[in-house]
Amino acid sequence: MKTVVIVYMLLAVTFITQGTELHVKQGAKNQVVFVSDAPFGKFEGTTNNIDGYLYWENNILTANSSLYFEVDLNTLDTGIGLRNRHMRENYLQTDKYRFASFKGKITNVTAVSQGSFKVDVDGAMTIHGVTQSIKITGTLAKTDESSYNLKSDFTVKLSSYNIEIPSIMMVKLSEVIELHLNFNLQEVIKPEGKK
Amino acid sequence: MKTRSIIFLAVIILISLISNASAQITWKQHEVVDNLPLQLFHSPQSINLPTVETLQQGDFEFEISHRFLPPIKNGTKDFYGFDGPVNMRIALGYAVTNDLVVTLGRSNVEDNLELKGKYRALQLKETFLPLLVGVQIGIARNTQTFGQTANAGRTYQYFGQLIFNTMIYKTFGIGIVPSYLYNSNIYVNEVQNSFTLGMNFQYYVSKMVSVLAEFNPTVNGYVNRFDSAAFGVELETGGHFFKIILTNNAKLNSTQFLSGADKTIGGGEWRLGFNITRLLKF
Repeated sequence: MKTVVIVYMLLAVTFITQGTELHVKQGAKNQVVFVSDAPFGKFEGTTNNIDGYLYWENNILTANSSLYFEVDLNTLDTGIGLRNRHMRENYLQTDKYRFASFKGKITNVTAVSQGSFKVDVDGAMTIHGVTQSIKITGTLAKTDESSYNLKSDFTVKLSSYNIEIPSIMMVKLSEVIELHLNFNLQEVIKPEGKK
Repeated sequence: MKTRSIIFLAVIILISLISNASAQITWKQHEVVDNLPLQLFHSPQSINLPTVETLQQGDFEFEISHRFLPPIKNGTKDFYGFDGPVNMRIALGYAVTNDLVVTLGRSNVEDNLELKGKYRALQLKETFLPLLVGVQIGIARNTQTFGQTANAGRTYQYFGQLIFNTMIYKTFGIGIVPSYLYNSNIYVNEVQNSFTLGMNFQYYVSKMVSVLAEFNPTVNGYVNRFDSAAFGVELETGGHFFKIILTNNAKLNSTQFLSGADKTIGGGEWRLGFNITRLLKF
């Protein structure tokens, strides 16, 4: 009986974890930008409509970490209304695939400076209904007691997500799209269950 | 002893369950709301009739349109009309808001200068067929008239249009455009008015290509000989619309087009024309 109690106590101790959960702090300062760099010119689309969370335990970023972010593709603005509609209806098909999302976990952390970390993330990107595993690197910086800023730059290949390469006046746009993310996260204070 | 152990165990399990609950992610996806305006036709205009489509606030749209006067049946003699003469229109539209476009246009026919405003008034998304309703009003002045107009004030013309658009299977657009024109003919003594019932149809074949037709019968009032009909092909590129059409009405500015055609629909005297519009952003 005693042994059972001890085992349970040990188990309980391991279960008493301190979880840190951050949610995307909504606001105009969040920026998701895609850049298509084609031979005849460059164009970009922007939205600040990103949402999601980042979670870790016991103040260790890699401990049981998980993260999920999604971007509402209906809100992407290239600056020209007609082009936005073309992008939504002909290429991204946002009526069927409204969100681009990324789900993953932090696999490695390197401190860059006080309160700033380079984080390696391993996960699955879903765009246009197609999911691909992808490794991304970002910078997570603590901006105050409970706020963080996350920056990440990476590229995606349109053909990997079954997105037809858009052409304007018969000239194809770039197949590789650069993505630049820069957004803010706010720690969630949980009313209970947190030690 | 045994009871105490069980209670102790239960407490520990409870604690472990509570603390484990902290590993539950509390984030939830926001309720997904429809955040897009209804858009049916791709181009803000059919061939001559307007659609409810507007531009994004701050966008400009430049238009240049031609109607070649010699009918295509003259063949190589007039090079299918390209030898001219030609009616032309240039126009610049500006989106004051996402729902309001103001356009200034000029045609070489009587040097007609027109100013019109189009407002996207209503959208119904959740109905059996999607419906967009718009209204367009305009004023035009014929700045170069030939011979005498009835009086100086008669060089001005006014028009108003209601625009109803719907679309079936996202590929077949239908427009109904009842239009009223005041002072349809600037040269006659009595002020003439026209009421027409415009209709336009457009089938979107692919991302880039669609075929379109329009018909503008005069229901009541003055008509310059015949009802208007036109059909053609539209190419779109995400910034340009390029329309190549055949029509029996070679007039381009709204008040001139609405007053009717000079050739019959059945007479085989179709004229070639094109509209090119280009979105501009400064």
